[in-house]
Amino acid sequence: MHTGHYISGGGHLALLLWVLFGSVFSSEPDAVEVREVSVVSEEEFAALTERAQPPESTVDVTAPPVPEAEAGAPPPASAPDPEPAPQPDPEPVPEPEPETAPEPVPPTPEADAQQETQELAAPAPEAAPQIDAPEASDRPTPRPAPRISPEPVPEPEPQADTAPDVQEAVEPEPSPDAIEEADPQEAEAPEAASTEIVTEAEEPSRAPSASMRPQTRPNRPTPQPEPEPEAPSETQTAEAPEPEPEPTPEPEPAPEPEPEQSASETSEQLEDGIESALAEALGGGGTTDPEPDVPVGPPMTAGEKDALRLAVQSCWVVDVGSQAANVTVVVGMDMARDGTVVQESMRLVSSSGGEGAAVETAYQSARRAILRCQRGGYDLPPEKYDQWDELEISFDPSGMRIR
Amino acid sequence: MRRLISLCLGLVLAAALPMMAAAQDGPLRIDITEGVIEPVPVAIPSFVPENGASDMAAQITRVVGEDLTGTGLFRRIPQEAFISSISSFSSPIQYADWRAINAQALVTGAVTVEGSQVIVKFRLYDVFTGQELGEGMQFAGTTDGWRRMAHKVADQVYSRITGESGYFDSRVVFVSESGPKDQRAKRLAVMDYDGANVQYLTGSGSIVLAPRFSPSGDRVIYTSYETGSPRVHVLSVGDTQSRILPAQAGSMSFAPRFTPNGQGLLYSVNEGSNTDIYRMDMASGQTSQLTTGPAIDTAPSFSPDGSRIVFESDRSGSQQLYVMPAGGGEPTRISFGPGRYGTPVWSPRGDLIAFTKQNAGRFHIGVMRVDGSEERLLTASFLDESPTWAPNGRVIMFARETQGAQGASSLYTVDVSGRNLKRVTTPDGASDPSWGPLQ
Repeated sequence: MHTGHYISGGGHLALLLWVLFGSVFSSEPDAVEVREVSVVSEEEFAALTERAQPPESTVDVTAPPVPEAEAGAPPPASAPDPEPAPQPDPEPVPEPEPETAPEPVPPTPEADAQQETQELAAPAPEAAPQIDAPEASDRPTPRPAPRISPEPVPEPEPQADTAPDVQEAVEPEPSPDAIEEADPQEAEAPEAASTEIVTEAEEPSRAPSASMRPQTRPNRPTPQPEPEPEAPSETQTAEAPEPEPEPTPEPEPAPEPEPEQSASETSEQLEDGIESALAEALGGGGTTDPEPDVPVGPPMTAGEKDALRLAVQSCWVVDVGSQAANVTVVVGMDMARDGTVVQESMRLVSSSGGEGAAVETAYQSARRAILRCQRGGYDLPPEKYDQWDELEISFDPSGMRIR
Repeated sequence: MRRLISLCLGLVLAAALPMMAAAQDGPLRIDITEGVIEPVPVAIPSFVPENGASDMAAQITRVVGEDLTGTGLFRRIPQEAFISSISSFSSPIQYADWRAINAQALVTGAVTVEGSQVIVKFRLYDVFTGQELGEGMQFAGTTDGWRRMAHKVADQVYSRITGESGYFDSRVVFVSESGPKDQRAKRLAVMDYDGANVQYLTGSGSIVLAPRFSPSGDRVIYTSYETGSPRVHVLSVGDTQSRILPAQAGSMSFAPRFTPNGQGLLYSVNEGSNTDIYRMDMASGQTSQLTTGPAIDTAPSFSPDGSRIVFESDRSGSQQLYVMPAGGGEPTRISFGPGRYGTPVWSPRGDLIAFTKQNAGRFHIGVMRVDGSEERLLTASFLDESPTWAPNGRVIMFARETQGAQGASSLYTVDVSGRNLKRVTTPDGASDPSWGPLQ
């Protein structure tokens, strides 16, 4: 009667023990350490502003505006001399905007180190400007310098006046940065200030996730070599067209999974990252190599699964009066890219409700159904081959069994 | 406190995330809960006559096909649809040709006749896997017994495809009836399961009732009024010699049955208005009373493992089914539906009990689990009675009598699923069937 409770209790206990003694926290101290840094910053705000600014690599960010302000507004230059030091204070706020420039960089593996330093720096300047805000009241002149964004939010009207100035100032800014290709991107951003702010809010949220991506992305090249094996299968039909079809299918599947994952599976990637970290901590990462290939493709839709289910069940002949009708079997198999079953791979994964000949009969019946209805191959989306390259089909006749 | 909460959240996340991720990993899982109920298409090309025995080969092929299609589980593909032809028993199989006509199984065979000897060989192929199902076999016998060899081939095919033993090479003992109802002559007869090869075991001079095959099929026990009063006889099927069992106190009532080991009998004795169940050892003649009390306890039937006995009793006021230990003891009622339940018979599989049910003026043959659950009525008519199980526990044969003065009794079979109700062709009327073991 309480078997379920016992099983549940035992499972939870085992889980807690595993979490507590499974060296799960080995990866977590990193996050705790990050918070400690923020705590230290609270103790000495003024000192932090001085300390945080230099490590923030704000030099890169502040450097461009400073020459710009000097060049674009020489009259206030008299005051700026002592103020350049406070100027960086409000500037850390615009910093996230210039961070957009390095963001295009993160796709490259170099982002790991850069993003980490930025993450640590980002919280510190946020606290600093809040305290510096009253101080900023004494700085009417430096404000023209932060033309970029902090002002338009509190004061919409000055935005219109300063906006044209800002655009002019922004355009030259990116050019000195480094990359010319990034310039048009920055020029487009200031046009819609509100949208920029939103994207900035999103980007820092992606930053932690992106830190984990570099581990999975190097694995993505593995699915790319997979489409290459398609080439030999295609070579069977004709050798001449080989090179042409190869490159076209390869880039297509590669970009498709990436945007879909970034759009909808960001949370899942977080989970995957945590899981992989835990798996590595537990030493179970040896078998994870083939697994990362599976989630690469987009998930099968319910309709696609239903189509496969209907195709197989239309050939599943159930002898409701036999003892095999009491047996549920799970048949595993590998699939070829053309949707056909690799017959040699068919296997009985598990069974329940019977034994001996009844199980064998139920398995053979299921096996015949799968082979009989495949004909030229099941209609499965080829771009999702990674999702259905291995199938497990459960045949449960309990709904048909005569009571 | 905040640390504690964050720790708890961390534990939950750490536990949940791997589980969620694990659910996403692995092969794509599809669950199928609905299939189709239809006969399996089977191709049975004419067996190859290897020694000019074309007639015999054609007859054997026909019987094999009739056996398989008669179960309702197989459908024979007409020969006109074949793309390939089997000209030699050892020729390779062109599976694609048989797949094209949607044959799931292919039976090939060859027949050789040498004098009065006939040899039948066969092979069974799983068309869609492209493999032979089991190994080829051959049976040898006399030309007179060609039907048995055909039945044996069909049994092998049935067994290899369904995973259950067959029942084609088996015989049924029954009461052959002729004449009008008020002057009906009854003889003991035995036939193949399909109604062929009827042989009469007794004359028509006396009334015979309730024949039962022994578990080994070598003897038949039945009740005869040959001496004017009902007495239990044991007849040897081989030489049709019978002997009368020693009389017991009171009068031995109907429905004697063999124990599973064939060494004993279960029967009921009627004393006044009281009927109780007894067990007798046939070798020593020792008897033991299994039930007591004023009720009518009768129609006992052993479970195949010999551990329990199911019987009918009116101890609750109406005729119901009860199960008790083999040595007697407190019975457990298993039937609770409306109407009257009688003549229970335990399935050779041990999982079901067949019975006769009378309710609302109609008779039914039904089955239920041994605990009384999952009762299903398989038939309904003016009079259905005397169920008996095929040796594999898959089919039930029973007697059905039509209404009216000209009504006659005949034998029917029905699948345990309630499908495939068929009449068994017999020369005359027939009742009280008892299905023998697989030979």
